[in-house]
Amino acid sequence: MLGTMTSELQNGNGEMPRLPSRVRQSGNFRWFCTRGDKPLCSAAVWWSWLTAMLLLCAGSPASGDEVSLAGIAFFEKRIRPVLVKHCYACHSAAAKELRGGLFLDTRGGLLMGGDSGPAAVPRRVEASLLIRAVRYQGPKMPPAGKLPDAAIADLEKWVRIGMPDPRAVTRPDAPPSRKIDLETGRQFWAFRQLRSVEPPPVPDEQKAWPRTPIDRFILARRAGLGLRPASRADRRVLLRRASFDLLGLPPTPDAVKAFMENSWEQAYRGLLDQLLESDDYGERWARHWLDIARFAESNGFEKDEDRPTAYHYRDFVIKALNRDLPYDEFVRWQIAGDLLQPDEPLARAATGFLVAGVMNVTQTFKEFERDRYDELDDMVSTLGTAMLGITIGCARCHDHKYDPIQQLDYYRLAASFAQTTGREIPLADQEDAPRAYAALDVGDRVTKSDLKQFNSFGDRDRYFVNAQVHFLDRGDVGHKGQVVAQGFPQVLLRPDNDVSRWTGSGESATSRRVALARWLTDVEHGAGSLLARVIVNRLWYHHLGVGLVATPSDLGIRGGVASHPQLLEWLAAELIRQDWRLKPIHRLIMNSAVYLQRYQSDPASLRTDPQNQWYWRRRLRRLEAEVLRDAMLAASGLLDGTRYGPGTLDEGSQRRSIYFTVKRSRLVSALSQFDAPDGLQGVGRRQTTTVAPQALLLLNSERIRQYAVGFARRIDGSGTVDLAMVIQRGYQYALARPATAGESRQLARFLENQIESYQAAGAEQPRQLAVTDFCQLLFCLNEFAYVE
Amino acid sequence: MRTMMRRELLQKTAVGLGSLALAHVRQRQGRSATDADSVDWTHPLAPRRPHFRPPAKAVIWIVLNGGASQVDTWDYKPELQRRAGQTLPGADTGTGFFQTSGKLLKSPFRFSQRGQSGTWVPEIFPHLAHHVDELALVHSCWTQSNNHSPALFQINTGLNRMGFPCVGSWVSYGLGTENANLPAFVVMTDAKGRGLPKGRAQNWGAGFLPSVYQGVALNNTGAPLDHLVRRPGQSTQQQRAVLETLGALNQQHLRRYGEETELSARIESFELAFRMQMTAPEVLDIDRESAHTRRAYGVDNQQCAHFGRQCLMARRLVEQGVRFVQIYSGGSGNAESWDGHVDIRANHTNFAAEIDQPTAALIGDLKARGLLDSTLVVCGGEFGRTSDSQGSRGRDHNPHAFTTWFAGGGIQGGVHYGATDAFGYRVVENHASVHDLHATLLYLLGMHHEQLTYRFNGRDYRLTDVHGTPIAPIMV
Repeated sequence: MLGTMTSELQNGNGEMPRLPSRVRQSGNFRWFCTRGDKPLCSAAVWWSWLTAMLLLCAGSPASGDEVSLAGIAFFEKRIRPVLVKHCYACHSAAAKELRGGLFLDTRGGLLMGGDSGPAAVPRRVEASLLIRAVRYQGPKMPPAGKLPDAAIADLEKWVRIGMPDPRAVTRPDAPPSRKIDLETGRQFWAFRQLRSVEPPPVPDEQKAWPRTPIDRFILARRAGLGLRPASRADRRVLLRRASFDLLGLPPTPDAVKAFMENSWEQAYRGLLDQLLESDDYGERWARHWLDIARFAESNGFEKDEDRPTAYHYRDFVIKALNRDLPYDEFVRWQIAGDLLQPDEPLARAATGFLVAGVMNVTQTFKEFERDRYDELDDMVSTLGTAMLGITIGCARCHDHKYDPIQQLDYYRLAASFAQTTGREIPLADQEDAPRAYAALDVGDRVTKSDLKQFNSFGDRDRYFVNAQVHFLDRGDVGHKGQVVAQGFPQVLLRPDNDVSRWTGSGESATSRRVALARWLTDVEHGAGSLLARVIVNRLWYHHLGVGLVATPSDLGIRGGVASHPQLLEWLAAELIRQDWRLKPIHRLIMNSAVYLQRYQSDPASLRTDPQNQWYWRRRLRRLEAEVLRDAMLAASGLLDGTRYGPGTLDEGSQRRSIYFTVKRSRLVSALSQFDAPDGLQGVGRRQTTTVAPQALLLLNSERIRQYAVGFARRIDGSGTVDLAMVIQRGYQYALARPATAGESRQLARFLENQIESYQAAGAEQPRQLAVTDFCQLLFCLNEFAYVE
Repeated sequence: MRTMMRRELLQKTAVGLGSLALAHVRQRQGRSATDADSVDWTHPLAPRRPHFRPPAKAVIWIVLNGGASQVDTWDYKPELQRRAGQTLPGADTGTGFFQTSGKLLKSPFRFSQRGQSGTWVPEIFPHLAHHVDELALVHSCWTQSNNHSPALFQINTGLNRMGFPCVGSWVSYGLGTENANLPAFVVMTDAKGRGLPKGRAQNWGAGFLPSVYQGVALNNTGAPLDHLVRRPGQSTQQQRAVLETLGALNQQHLRRYGEETELSARIESFELAFRMQMTAPEVLDIDRESAHTRRAYGVDNQQCAHFGRQCLMARRLVEQGVRFVQIYSGGSGNAESWDGHVDIRANHTNFAAEIDQPTAALIGDLKARGLLDSTLVVCGGEFGRTSDSQGSRGRDHNPHAFTTWFAGGGIQGGVHYGATDAFGYRVVENHASVHDLHATLLYLLGMHHEQLTYRFNGRDYRLTDVHGTPIAPIMV
């Protein structure tokens, strides 16, 4: 939308266009968009106005370039300090209470003005309210006393030269409001309790399309847009799609054969059963969760020491998914499994979630306490984005700028972990029980001096902090306030709720982490509704390629707008109806017509919905780093299916990629080159980049060549098979389909030429080299790397 | 010494907003450095317009890894020399990692005034002494941590925590690169086998930015870049045949998915990869330079040959359009970097000799080739060192004061900005935070540090967090 607007303002040659006449004539833009009590009429209009306004103020662009350095420097030196000192207290996002609806801390705020109109008009000193106000002609600003004459002169000069100002133009979405209104906040869709939603009725003429209630929601949102839904993709496409989605592996030729035999409905049902039963499923979906959990197996910082038993947490995630542990239980265990189910080794390992972040063990005394608060922040922030889809971490230094989360909420939540730190703990009570890096609640003092790796100077005994959490003004340990009692974000509590519902009180007081785990998963009174929304949105995102809310780790006010809010609500409720089990939700989504659609080209639909947010066709997606590698290993027949246990840094390993040790200072480059995360912060949505070094890796990496050699052996072991057959086999393993006649011809020619060329060069096994080239070529195909 | 000239900035006529407005329109059209929405993700490294026309196009950043001592390099303190052995007023003996004496330790080096600017230069920088009029020295740098890895993270990412994008990544994200055949952001680590800086590869990590923006560290042994060389036994022609067939099949596939630009970008990436195999090794091959040039960089001088090669390579890279080059002087161990805890004289004599001639040659060479005006050279450590002694001859970490110098694109030479107290212990004038250094660097590359943002987990992150002001007085 924005793109269209701006291109209207600038013609193709990049020359200054004529501006819309009403903008040019208008001296006061108040009729254009309103502020104060009423919201901005729309972000779009606001933007168009602002863009126009900025263009209007523009002098010759060329000369602008030349002098901006000087102008901006003037602003920095003479103007900004005055604004900060005398105006921001009442007229900025940092104001305790915004006065007159006027923001002076952004370019846009100044130009757009507040309740009394634009604060300043570039180059028109006398017409600028700001100037009149500082001169005490009319409104007297700042009210505490007139500015020195020099400062006033600077401001005049600044307006005269066109108000050079490097500060951000306020973003078009909600202007920050400083007053946290809990009641309004509780009514925000993501924060309120789940509502009962009925799937919409289906008009008769569309009765043929829906397969599940999901489709009825999809249809309802498409209504009246004239979008043509895509038909069902063909069987082979679906088989490949389902296999990669659930297992992260390509279908085997046997699976293809079996899938083609039965009637479609029967075959597909059987396929989903089979895929959901496979333990490969956990290895695929655990990786999604490990991204969110910023999982890694080393300390980070100076020496990045290993955590050799941290892999137990990774195994917990895989096993929990495979046994379809209810999601609420999955969450509770990660917060307090050691306390809730001490007899269950998996539950003890699960708290590895809390402490998977970095921990500095080379320290100076001056940093020790600040680092402790950083560790707490890592726990609180990761919990927030991973489980609740809210950016609680933003409230460390001040109240959240957008979401109704107070700074105190942050510290109350942090207090849940006042005693918690990462240690190797036994997974059972026997003496010889295996140990795992997980959460441990210590006594009154949190220290690291018991760690062998701890490296510091002087008396180790002084390196500790009391196991309590203080409120920190501006997040600064130098400004310590009161000790904070455990609590939960107010906006996720019913107004009449007492925290003791979860924490207990007096003698029945429960451990803090147990209380937190209970609150998180309490649908009636706690955060359970949000918890359910966040996870079903993640499932949807991984199956459909885009979330119902496009920002899976941020369902707050600044997150994406839900494309299908009713569907999200219904799915969340469905998860709870299914006792929080994820597998029924996978099945439901994958059985829906919307999931089964094919990719189609349809210019009319593309015009109506270029982003495909109403799902008129299937998206194409690149395999993630791990899946790409696993798929090469699987196609080559080299994949080592050993599950669980310690990982490795040896890139020669042929186990699935999830079993690589994640060492923060030594990431597996074949994975990070394809956008695998670095285990430092939770990542809910990977960016997909396409760059030449990826192609170089596929072409020249010794490792990839080894896979291709294995693949060649698999399809042409004897070296005597008809080349046409070799080609067909290659296609079956790599792409789960036969090669077309045209492809066969093309590749046969390629093979013959390569053989000849290697022969001519005197190579010993020209055919083997040629077939290996063919296999490597298959790995490089877009069709190999992308799933429809 | 020339004092800072306060220039009357407004003599240069008006405006500023014009360029901003246009930059604004352009950025919404998807080709200027702003936020993630403006990046073409099928070409994440395509060149992007800065916010305004900048003086500098590229950066070479020399990191004096371990923390060079300001009072023994660029922040000469006669008072310290005079009062050696006396108590340092206001000493905090817990300033560093270990414990200091509280007694002033004089610099073991002789200083002399050099250049038009009369800048005081220690005897350990005989070559750089010829270039002091090119340097703008910021004496008032300070940082938050007194510990290597957090301080290295801070100088690189702005924050002393782990996991944030470094300045080179931000710059590559903001501006892309001008030569698609080379990485946008190249890192060179100690070539003498003394290891990586503390905190290792995270110092050039992309944090939450997409990993294409992370620094590419050159290998110190074998081929400098991974996967640039075809496997032995495969000829250009044989590889070409693979690529031809691959391209043809990919084109057929594309017909079914014609609207997916990602697919065509991936097709292009294979062609680009093929070309990179030829161009990249050439650029990194300093043997293509004349003997005279190599000698100037000290390639034939055993003590500084490794660093000379790196500086020369850096110039070749920048010349070819690489955006950001970072070179680490020194390795991981204390004694193997500028971390002079035990004997500041021995330590700094040695490391200065490693970088002096190559760095001076770099400035001279860039200038001779007309590249200095468009290349920003930055040099400094992650913190400074104490004015009082650790042991008898060493200095501990000092986060309260250190010097960073700038040269080249947009920089006014011979300028001194900020000041420390009489002993070089703490900053007393014009504090320059790491955020200020970063804001300055972005500014010289044509970017407003407040407008280069990336939204991650609900927040619009900046390199400068919520701080930073470009240091205007060191600019032309």
